Amino acid sequence: MINLVANRRDVAAGARAMVPWLVGIVPFGLVIGLSAAQADIPTLAGWLTGPLIYAGSSQVATIEMLDNGAAPVVVVVAALVINVRLILYSATMARHWRGTSWRWRFVAAYLLVDPSLAVGLDGYVRRIDRGRAHARYLGGAVLLWVAWLAAIGIGATVGAGLPTWLHLEFVIPLYLVGEVVTKLASPALRRTIFVASAVAILALSAPLHLGMALAIAAGITAGLTVRPVERLEPTHPSRQTAEVPR
Amino acid sequence: MSAWIVILGVGLGSYLFRLSMILLIDRITMSPQLDRASGLVAPAAFAALAAGGVATACTSVGASQAAAPLAAVAAAVIAVLRTGSSYAAILVGMPTLWITTSLLPG
Repeated sequence: MINLVANRRDVAAGARAMVPWLVGIVPFGLVIGLSAAQADIPTLAGWLTGPLIYAGSSQVATIEMLDNGAAPVVVVVAALVINVRLILYSATMARHWRGTSWRWRFVAAYLLVDPSLAVGLDGYVRRIDRGRAHARYLGGAVLLWVAWLAAIGIGATVGAGLPTWLHLEFVIPLYLVGEVVTKLASPALRRTIFVASAVAILALSAPLHLGMALAIAAGITAGLTVRPVERLEPTHPSRQTAEVPR
Repeated sequence: MSAWIVILGVGLGSYLFRLSMILLIDRITMSPQLDRASGLVAPAAFAALAAGGVATACTSVGASQAAAPLAAVAAAVIAVLRTGSSYAAILVGMPTLWITTSLLPG
C-alpha cells in the first residue's frame, strides 16, 4: 500500500522530475485542443480523447481521421496500432508492480505513457523501497495528467472562437510534417516515412479512407526491409525526445 | 458508429494495452521483430497523416491557391531542419500559409 503522506517528498520529487517533460508536452496538448475545436466532431468529444485515450499520437490520428470522414473501424484500428507500444511499457513496469494491489495496478496502468514511464522507471531503478518509487511515479504521472488535460482544454476553448481564415485545420498537418522531418536521419525511418507518404497520397481516394491504414502498413513493411544497424525509434521513453503522451 | 463510440473504443483498447503485460507478464514475450516494427508505427502514421492532410488542403482550395499549402510545408521543412524542433513547423508554416494565401489570386 502506498502512503502518500509519509512519502510526500517522493511524490514532490516525481512531480519535479516531470516538469521538464511538460515544456514539450503542453504545446502538443494545445495543438490537439485546437485541432479538436476545428475538426468536424463535437469539441467535447475531441477533448475527451485526452482522458479516454491519453496518448497524443493516437489522439491526433483519431481526431484527424474522424474529421476526414474515415470509417470508424479504420479509425479504431489505426489508433490502436499506434498505441501498440503501450504493451511494451506495460511489460516494463509489470515487474515493478508485481504483488501490488489491483487498485494500484488499474490506476497506475491508466497513467502509463511515455513521460510517466521515464520518470517512474527512474525511481524504480534507483530506489530499493518500492513504496517510495510508487509515490514518485504517482507524483509525476498525476502532474502530467492534469497538465495534459488542461492544455487540451485551453486549446479547444481558444480554438473554437478563432476565424476560419486562419486555416487552423492546417496546424496538425504542419506539426506532423515537423515530427517526420526530425526522424529523417535514420535510414529505416526515412524509408518508412517516404513510402507511407507516397502511399497515403496515391490512396487518397481509397474507399472507407483505407488509404491511411494501407500507408501505415506499407511504411512499416518498407522500414523493416532496412537492415537494423542501429536502434530504431526508441521504444524506451528515456531515450525519446519530446514524444509526449503518445 | 458516432465519434463518441470511436473515441471510447480507442480509449478502452489503449487501456487494455496498458494493463496487458502487467497482468500477463509471466506468460507472454514480445518478439524482436514486433519490437522493431512497433518503433516504425508512429512515424509511418505521422507521415501518412501529414501527406494526406497536405494533399487534401491543396485539392480543397482550388488550383489557384494550391501553392499556398505547399509553400507552407516547404517553409516548415526548412525551419525544422534548421532548428531541430517540430514546433518550428507550425511557427513558420502557418504565417507562410497566411501570407501566400493572401498574395495568390482567390
